[in-house]
Amino acid sequence: MTASRSVVCAIAVSLVILGACRGMAADNERAAQLAAMCASCHRLDGRDKGIPSIVGLEKEKFASAMAAFKSGARSSSIMHAVALQLSDAEIATLAEYLAARPKESKLR
Amino acid sequence: MTWTRRKFGGFAGTSLVAAFGARAARGQTKARVVVIGGGIGGATVAKYLATSSAKPDVTLVEPKHQYTTCFFSNFYLAGLRSLDSLTHDYETLARQYGIKVIHDTVTAIDPAAKTVALAGGAKLPYDRAVVAPGIAFRRGAIEGYDEAAMQTMPHAWNGGPQTKLLRQQLESMEDGGVFVIAAPPDPFRCPPGPYERACLVAYYFKQFKPRAKILILDAKDTFFEQDLFEDGWNRHYPGMIEWLPGQFTGGVKSVDVKARAIRTASETFNASVANIIPAQIAGELAQRAGLADQSGWCPVDPMTFESKLLHGIHVIGDATTTGDMPKSAFVANSQAKACAFAIAAALTGSEQIELHLFNTCFTLLAPNDAVSDAISFKPVGGSIKITDIFFSPVGESDEMRRQAAHQADGWYAAFTHDVFG
Repeated sequence: MTASRSVVCAIAVSLVILGACRGMAADNERAAQLAAMCASCHRLDGRDKGIPSIVGLEKEKFASAMAAFKSGARSSSIMHAVALQLSDAEIATLAEYLAARPKESKLR
Repeated sequence: MTWTRRKFGGFAGTSLVAAFGARAARGQTKARVVVIGGGIGGATVAKYLATSSAKPDVTLVEPKHQYTTCFFSNFYLAGLRSLDSLTHDYETLARQYGIKVIHDTVTAIDPAAKTVALAGGAKLPYDRAVVAPGIAFRRGAIEGYDEAAMQTMPHAWNGGPQTKLLRQQLESMEDGGVFVIAAPPDPFRCPPGPYERACLVAYYFKQFKPRAKILILDAKDTFFEQDLFEDGWNRHYPGMIEWLPGQFTGGVKSVDVKARAIRTASETFNASVANIIPAQIAGELAQRAGLADQSGWCPVDPMTFESKLLHGIHVIGDATTTGDMPKSAFVANSQAKACAFAIAAALTGSEQIELHLFNTCFTLLAPNDAVSDAISFKPVGGSIKITDIFFSPVGESDEMRRQAAHQADGWYAAFTHDVFG
């Protein structure tokens, strides 16, 4: 009885973890898919030549830059068009994802 | 108590079996995706599939060992870049991303058996195929312009030997000669391309053959970013470039390679160097495999880029007809990502996220004078429509134009890194 209850508990716990991992994996995948759009112009390994690097940026800095591009306060027709495409939730997801990505140069 | 436990236990058991069952199934038979064509669309889709959570076996079939981009080839014609700097290989895709790269030609696709046959004799089975065949030229669009004629009057609308041939001809042209560009009817690869070519060849002429002229014989009556180009031509190359719309000449009808003559409906023009860019259709394999419709282009689902004609085969890039999306490397890259995510979602049974489709283009009017455009798109009712579009305005400051030229270089480096690793 006790043994079977702990099995049930173990299954329940592993299910919760499995669910959480899946949730995180799905969120991370969604973030990676959004960041893939950025990668057409910004290198995601942190190197840059003419187009600024966006990895390792503080979340707040990224979000406020995107807000400025969206409103037109910061001038760039390309980034204005990109920012208009993204919802606030998507910008937050991207901010989190890019902030957590190390620059290749920092790893060396 | 007992009831709760039993219920819960039953639910847990079922979920676990489902989870492990799915994983076991994935482990036993890894999904196979065969990508045909190693241009921008093909290379991008292969890379993003290989890094997706679906982790399929990805095979990329491309006859060439190296790919020379057609975008930025006008920089090479102007002497601003080497052909080497525009040439990329598949080493990183194979080594770092585990993509199986096969240098061979596809002879047939069997959508019923789900196999791709190669000239070398191999047959590749697939769960999903992605075809990225680029463009072909419409046969008979210009009389006398056949494979042999292309060796004398290059189209230079694929990067590589054709671009090199055109550069050689421009170098050996006498000062005072006439360079004729025959610009194609819509739709065609790279809408600003012929007009940027006029700019950058004029930049070369201005330095080395200042008496040379450029004549554009257009099939169309208007062209992309016309005001920006005409402003650039007047400011940088006054009197050097003449553009004749289709309504004046009736368009280029035939060429006489020996006489270096180009005939429109109304008159004959003699060219010192001729760049003939004919009307276009989807690449040859798309025609042969039955992926193209009567228009010559491939209709696809706007969410997944799966062919509307053949199930299980996706088509991306210049070969597709996708509503408002232009034929550009950037669009091919954007479509390739959307297609890779859609295939990954289908293979894992997960939900596809909302697409963000995009196009950006940097165009050089002169080495320190670049303009850009930015267009976003959304799938709407079976097609793809523009949501926002922005262009550099005429009369922008020199500083903005210099910055854009600098960004153009940075974009090329980042973009080709995104595609080829």
